Amino acid sequence: MSKSSKPGIKIPVKNGIEQTVRTLLNKALGHSIDALLMPVKVPSKDSYAWILMQDSDVVNDASPMAAGMPVQGAKALKSLTRKGGGSLRVAALMRPCEVRAAIELVKLNQINLENVVLISYDCPGALPLSELSDNFEAAEKKFKVLLSSRCFDSPDVKPVCQFCTGFSMGAADIHIGLADGDTGHLLLISGSPKGKAFLSAAGLNVDEDLSAYKKQVDLILKKKTQKTKEIFQAVQPMVEGLENLAETFSNCIGCHNCQSACPICYCRQCYFDSKESKLEPAYYMEKAEKRGGVSFPHDRVLFHVGRMSHMSLSCVSCGQCTDACPVSIPVAKVFSYVASQTQQAFEYSAGKSVSEAIPLKEFKEDELQKIHEIVKSAESQESPHE
Amino acid sequence: MNKILITDQGAEQSVVEVLRFLLDNKKVGGVLTLRQTSKKGSLDYGLLTRSEELDRAVPLMPVMPANAAQILSSLTPAKKPIAAVVKPCELRGFVERIKREQGSLDNVLTISMTCGGVIPLDISIKTSKNKLTPKYYEQVKAGEIPENIRPTCKTCEHFVPMTADITISVVGEKGLDSTCRFILNSDKAASMTEGFGRIEDGGLDTKVLDDHLKKRQTKNKNLLESLKSQLDGLDGLVDIFGKCIGCHGCSRVCPICYCVLCDFESRSFDQNVTFYEEELTQKGALRLPPDTLFFHLGRLSHMSFSCVGCGQCADVCPADIPVASVFKKIGENTAALFDYVPGRDVEEDIPVMVFKEEEFKELGE
Amino acid sequence: MEKAFIPKITAFLCKWCSYTGADLAGTSRLQYPPAIIPIKVMCSSRVDPVFLIRAFLKGADGVLIGGCHPGDCHYQSGNYHTRRRFAILQSIFDSLSLETDRLRLSWISASEGPKFASVCNEFTDKITKMGPNPTRKNIFL
Repeated sequence: MSKSSKPGIKIPVKNGIEQTVRTLLNKALGHSIDALLMPVKVPSKDSYAWILMQDSDVVNDASPMAAGMPVQGAKALKSLTRKGGGSLRVAALMRPCEVRAAIELVKLNQINLENVVLISYDCPGALPLSELSDNFEAAEKKFKVLLSSRCFDSPDVKPVCQFCTGFSMGAADIHIGLADGDTGHLLLISGSPKGKAFLSAAGLNVDEDLSAYKKQVDLILKKKTQKTKEIFQAVQPMVEGLENLAETFSNCIGCHNCQSACPICYCRQCYFDSKESKLEPAYYMEKAEKRGGVSFPHDRVLFHVGRMSHMSLSCVSCGQCTDACPVSIPVAKVFSYVASQTQQAFEYSAGKSVSEAIPLKEFKEDELQKIHEIVKSAESQESPHE
Repeated sequence: MNKILITDQGAEQSVVEVLRFLLDNKKVGGVLTLRQTSKKGSLDYGLLTRSEELDRAVPLMPVMPANAAQILSSLTPAKKPIAAVVKPCELRGFVERIKREQGSLDNVLTISMTCGGVIPLDISIKTSKNKLTPKYYEQVKAGEIPENIRPTCKTCEHFVPMTADITISVVGEKGLDSTCRFILNSDKAASMTEGFGRIEDGGLDTKVLDDHLKKRQTKNKNLLESLKSQLDGLDGLVDIFGKCIGCHGCSRVCPICYCVLCDFESRSFDQNVTFYEEELTQKGALRLPPDTLFFHLGRLSHMSFSCVGCGQCADVCPADIPVASVFKKIGENTAALFDYVPGRDVEEDIPVMVFKEEEFKELGE
Repeated sequence: MEKAFIPKITAFLCKWCSYTGADLAGTSRLQYPPAIIPIKVMCSSRVDPVFLIRAFLKGADGVLIGGCHPGDCHYQSGNYHTRRRFAILQSIFDSLSLETDRLRLSWISASEGPKFASVCNEFTDKITKMGPNPTRKNIFL
């Protein structure tokens, strides 16, 4: 976040928010920026694809604020910059959760932001992918209304979006503020020296007072925090105890779509797809004999809890997992619930800052004292029988 | 003429009793069958070793949570004999996997059925099981194609199992609620079921099945017609696969795609920024992540001729792309080049593993 | 004046026969078009159909595989497999109404310099008439 007390500028909305953004970015194209990364409607006009563009005709066809999120933007950035190098200066327009995922992927050495300007916007939420598939035109219309009316509490967006407290400015270099209700203008807020430079290159000097805007954002945040409590209270009984957890995931067919769609799960070969997790035929039979039977997909709950243990510290609650699930398991709600607790344990916030190391990558010699105490008391007791 | 086992109970119950017989008489160490597991009645495959576990078994449920071919690969080579109740396409898929050294039929008693089709996953999870099946069986018993089954099932011409030890007669069986006929196709089948019940001479009703086949063939022709207009060159392909999100769920649930690390997920096709810069200069714009269409065309070139048309891929697709119909159609064409039918015979070589010195004379001049 | 369209044709040539044949065409001063971009492989059967698809989707106007005549493969049976794979890919392209004519398989032995040149000339002519591959322009691939 910029240290300046007035790091914003208001610009008038001309022909809608998206067109205003397109005009602004088109101006910068070829000057401070070589290419833009934005969603564009696919030829069949029933979904969006991330397109890296230099051609201003393509910019005019782009949908900067897409109704849904078929592919997580951080994944698009990852495929472009993972190997680093090159001199292409890119501006990427993404949702706040996509920016958060990108920040986490930087820390996981999967994205290089050196030549990338990240631009985010106050996000009304995304509509579920299934809604786009069912009737794209209607979904697009619905979302445009949310955007233009600056609605941030729609019950129609994905559940994770409904309780997203990260809907506003995060670590992006530039943030487009829409939450102050002034439908005639939008705010361009600089979040970093890179962002400030981009704006001044576009002839925009930040001098706007943001206190009114921040007040509005805080009001919305209060509602979202309340919603978080509600939703997590509903999730708790779904996952407390092995029986409930197994029941929640009982429809799981082991397709691993949730893992593929997740921006954080970048492993080419997930541990749970590797040879190590494939067991000998005799093992299944032995297990079946011991218990009377064994289910397939095998180790269903292990996959999900295992995935949680691997990535929940970096979970940004984008909801791609639920969108991708073919049997409508509310994966995102469950994972967000767990992630909020694991992240809180380390006072860590996924995607907040590149300089905040992922808790598993570092340690303090004096921390988590409570765990020491738990272990000490266990040692002094008799070991429990099997 | 075959030997058939006839029962005086409804089909589902009869199958459960056969499985119970096999377990209780130690003919097998375990049985693989569909069963309802959770409070909400979720369906999955279970390897059961005790007959008490059969209480929640639903062997004939027309739903396919996973293609059992993958499960059979995990369970074989089997040291102890097992019996498996699977759909014809799952069995064909397993035969294709065996040809790729991913399992074995030794010690496996395969039980399949003349298949009326499978209900898509998104419908089956939303509907309670007792609401799901009445209409379905009404139509199947009458030899009709049920309304709410996978598109690839409606057009499937291989609904009679090809290599099963036992074939349960389901399609066109009017008396399915009160009797069940098991056609014993092998000596293994006969010896393992000896002592279970009434054996007679008989077989499948070829007339009923031929009539049903004609209906499927008509549907297949219609599907081909509608696909032809969609599969119209590059633009048509981009229309169909344009909204692919690259999750690769289709290949992960495919019974044929067994590669632990898929070529298209490996480093082979990684690109660096300079590559993108060049492409950007040429095209003015490009899609990220790249290679959406490439994945599908590549997968077709690698496995289409072995596609058994199960439709698991389309069921799993988050973008509702009709993957199964495209792959099944292309698969039929590429297999036809070699008069090949995937899953027909475990001894029949995969077309790309063999060759004839004199063939395709017109290629290469 | 608009520049004439010079296609880009990726040619996978097996080292023992076709690539040597290409060399011979060169040393014999036989003309063949600059459209051909040769890639040497040890055997035509090294070519996974995926390579052809990749070249095609990345904008190659034509893709050619050159191998030994059936029966003459340096590795005994490689080219028989190449032939089957090519037949499969052709069938896939046909079924999808993609321009199958942009794919070509040719048996060219080490001594067939003239054949290499004539195949290249003929193929390049055909591709030039077909025009640039539409994949060059499509950004949604």
